[in-house]
Amino acid sequence: MLFAIVPLIVDGLANAALIFFVAVGLTLVFSVLRILNVAHGSFYSIGAYVAASIGLWIISSGLNPWLSFPALLIAAALVAALMGPLIERTLVHWTYGKGEAVQILVTFGLFLILEDLQRIVFGVRSIYADTPMALLGVSEIGGIIYLNYQLLLIGLAVLTLIGLRLFIRHTRQGKLISAVVEDREVSEAMGINTRRIFMMAFTLGVFLAALGGALATPTSGVAPGLGAETMVLAFAVAAIAGLGQVEGAAVAAVIVGVARVLAIYYVPALDAVAPYLVMLVVLLIWPYGLFGTTQSRRI
Amino acid sequence: MQHSFDRRAFARTGLAAVAALAIAGGAKAQDAPSEFNIGIFTFSSGPAAAYGMPGRQGAELMIDMINEAGGVGGVPVRATFVDEAQGAEGVISEYRRLANDPDTQVMLAALSSSNCLALAPVAEQIGMPTISWNCDTHQLFLEDDLQFTFRPNGNTVPEFAAFAAYMVTVNPDVRRIAIINPDYAFGHDAGEIVKATLAAIAPEVEVVAELYPRLGTSSFQTEISRLSAARPDAIFSNLWGADLENFVRQAQPRGLFNQSQVVLALGETVLESLNLPDGVIAGMLGDGWWNTPTARANPMTVEFTDAYLERYGEHPVFPTMKMANALLFMQEAVEDAIAATDGAWPTRAQIAAAMEGRTFNSLTGTAVLREDNDAVVDQVIGLTTNESDLGFTTLTSMVRYPGEMLMPPIGGDPIEWLSTLTPDWLDSLPAPGSYN
Amino acid sequence: MRPATLYLLLAGGVLAMAALPILLPWKQFVMTVAMAKGFAALGVALLLRAGMISIGHALFLALGAYAAAFMSRGAGITDLGLLILGSVAISTVCGALVGAYMVRYRAIFFAMLNLAVSMVVFSLLAKLYRVTGGTDGMRVPVPTIFGMEYDKSQFDAILYYVALVLIVAVGFLVHRYLKSPLGHALAAVHSNEVRLEYLGVSAWRVLLVAYTVSAALAGLGGVLTAVAVGHVLPEYAYWTESGHLVLTAVLGGIGGVAGPFLGSIFLEFVHSFAVGYADDAWNMINGIALLLVIFFLPQGLYGLIARRRAAKSVMERDEDK
Repeated sequence: MLFAIVPLIVDGLANAALIFFVAVGLTLVFSVLRILNVAHGSFYSIGAYVAASIGLWIISSGLNPWLSFPALLIAAALVAALMGPLIERTLVHWTYGKGEAVQILVTFGLFLILEDLQRIVFGVRSIYADTPMALLGVSEIGGIIYLNYQLLLIGLAVLTLIGLRLFIRHTRQGKLISAVVEDREVSEAMGINTRRIFMMAFTLGVFLAALGGALATPTSGVAPGLGAETMVLAFAVAAIAGLGQVEGAAVAAVIVGVARVLAIYYVPALDAVAPYLVMLVVLLIWPYGLFGTTQSRRI
Repeated sequence: MQHSFDRRAFARTGLAAVAALAIAGGAKAQDAPSEFNIGIFTFSSGPAAAYGMPGRQGAELMIDMINEAGGVGGVPVRATFVDEAQGAEGVISEYRRLANDPDTQVMLAALSSSNCLALAPVAEQIGMPTISWNCDTHQLFLEDDLQFTFRPNGNTVPEFAAFAAYMVTVNPDVRRIAIINPDYAFGHDAGEIVKATLAAIAPEVEVVAELYPRLGTSSFQTEISRLSAARPDAIFSNLWGADLENFVRQAQPRGLFNQSQVVLALGETVLESLNLPDGVIAGMLGDGWWNTPTARANPMTVEFTDAYLERYGEHPVFPTMKMANALLFMQEAVEDAIAATDGAWPTRAQIAAAMEGRTFNSLTGTAVLREDNDAVVDQVIGLTTNESDLGFTTLTSMVRYPGEMLMPPIGGDPIEWLSTLTPDWLDSLPAPGSYN
Repeated sequence: MRPATLYLLLAGGVLAMAALPILLPWKQFVMTVAMAKGFAALGVALLLRAGMISIGHALFLALGAYAAAFMSRGAGITDLGLLILGSVAISTVCGALVGAYMVRYRAIFFAMLNLAVSMVVFSLLAKLYRVTGGTDGMRVPVPTIFGMEYDKSQFDAILYYVALVLIVAVGFLVHRYLKSPLGHALAAVHSNEVRLEYLGVSAWRVLLVAYTVSAALAGLGGVLTAVAVGHVLPEYAYWTESGHLVLTAVLGGIGGVAGPFLGSIFLEFVHSFAVGYADDAWNMINGIALLLVIFFLPQGLYGLIARRRAAKSVMERDEDK
């Protein structure tokens, strides 16, 4: 029995790692800006497209294939640097204090624009860039062969979680973010430049989403529709945790990942339903999520 | 072609529609139009485009070839392509929009089984001759007696019964099988057919896992773990398009192809683009491979294949050949319809009448249309091998199962028919390797 | 603009729509679908008046559509009138049940919970292949009308005018509802919920009524779409479809009953002209239109013709939350 549980855990964690990055980005943006960014999934797919394009370029121009690894990170940084500040300064900034209906509508408009922008820039066919996966080889765990890249991804997700925690608790910028989350008015009165904090938090959120997309490319193809699909999955994780809960998002990602794996192993007819079913059950019992409350603004 | 929707075309369509209303009911023969308009439905975006675009390219090339040779009945063919990725509601709207132009006389629709099922009643309502150029679901002609939908390709029953037969023949020791198919009619039908056929011809085979991931799934990692954990002797799959590419790329490094005999029903489509290992059972749902002995013996097929390779830099795949065949089928029918009306341009109904019951010599074999408008087509299956002078994977140990041996009779439940098969039936089929 | 002029304009619009199948026959089908979706957008608009945004309302559109499919295929009910009544009844009951839970929440949580429920239903519709036909959806046969059988083209023509008549009739009812104390209270929830409660009005009850009405409207849109298209699909419940309903409502304007229909019909006209030129940019056009309306025309298209002061917009901010 214990033997049979091992693959469940590995697969569950691998699944969780894939959704963790994008979900934690969504929840971080919400906790600081109090905005549910409906376009968040698009940053994931743009990150994936950019990473895959750079990866394919590295191979086709005969560069060292190991460069594919830093390329994943560079792709995410590029997307965040180019899109984060620009979108926050223009569209998102305009919605502050305007009511959630307007905020959701503006980001939905942004989502529609970004979806077609990707079709125009990256084309409409599926692309693959699986070099990093091939370079790392495989390991056997519990009688099943896993990609070392999948295991690496689990490690990266844990590192990101720890890194985020350290950043928020122990750096000056992170503490400033916490202060703004705690009380925006008082922070401003104390002379904190909230404009900068908002831009920084939004860009960090875009980076995490794009990183999630970039890190997913070695083990999956990229095609139109990825953004819309990821958006709801990230949302499910964030909602289960409670919007604004960073550590909670990690726990929720594991719950959703394991639920999906359990469904595929035992009730395959419900695989795609599993994340949403878990979300519904959680929200029926705790409408503000496992770790969230109406008032709570902790991150 | 999609830019045809300019204001002038708009106005012309409007006038034509008014004119059509004026003579409604009076389906009288007309003068030849200046262009023979057709609608072609395929996937040109999204994960399914990996399969749909070779079809579209095949259509573009074949239409050019037809038009260079004088067109259909002397009239050049003009195609409007519709992307099936927009979903059934959009596809139905586009079909209706195109059908409003009375000069649009034939539709080639559709690639996806769901869209074929959704469009069939619309075709009947409008009276539009519709060639199901690719979709396979046997449900299409099962419930209704369709007058305007024709499928010169055959259906899922012979296709997947053939794979079950081939697998049991080359690998008689298989006891545990797993199935991973896309989650819609095509995948579920194929799963049913494989299970029913195996239950009849190899009752000792047990199904140990059955997965139906959503069409357009990009990551199959958990599914691969699940399949691996089930330890099947054989894995059967009719994944296609980008799903098939994703699955093969992800499953190969994880040892699935070493662990089990893999059966890829649409494997022919990735022979050139992926590195399949040796010994995978692969096929093409019918006989539509450019490289079968039959196809290589047909000068027109060779000409088409060479022209395709030159224009697109890759070999055609079986959806390309199916599309080309569908266009040739259309051309033959329309030209026969013209002959039947003594040279007057035929109506939609007359074109449909000419399509009925045809025996059609395609680029890759023969299609015999039955009373129900479904065709009897041979099934070609083989094993992959990388020993080839093509520069990519090819097929060996091929077999060409005669279509009539696999096609259930009209009427009656095809799954029930499968259960009447016996292990002896296998002996009556040609042996793998008999067609090389 | 004086009310009389406004009514004249609206009457003119209805007459123009009535003449459309004769002038532009090829638009009849897409316009039927556009009018059907207009009902669902009107439902969303009701909630927007209370400052509540639902990004899951396509759920009720899908419920109405699937109810029609199940009734005609499973229960053998083929009459259009019965299909409409049955589907609307089912979506109304579901709306009341779901709404009883939903309207306890405000703001982001309301939006989120709606999204959650709609995604569960979407994935169930898509996965339960044996029951719902999975991602292939289900065919809906051509209904009869008062026992009379029609072929599809006759039925389509009749359905178009049925939809138009329903717009006028249902539009009038919804208009009356908005003018009733319950309707006025709806706007009050938006502007000041606490004050409303002090007046002894239960916000929960006000919102539950609005939620149920909006679900009924979306269900009506669903059944009309189902019989017009002749096919139902899980995509009807997908979250982007919900987003498009909100977009349609805001584009048309939530200030009056005519707004969402205006938005829906307007979008269909733009679509007809964009098809062929900008297939890869249709979503982008929608997105840009949405942003432009929010920035420059917060009262929507309806705001252009109605009295400015009377027209409501999504931009109004609730004060005490």
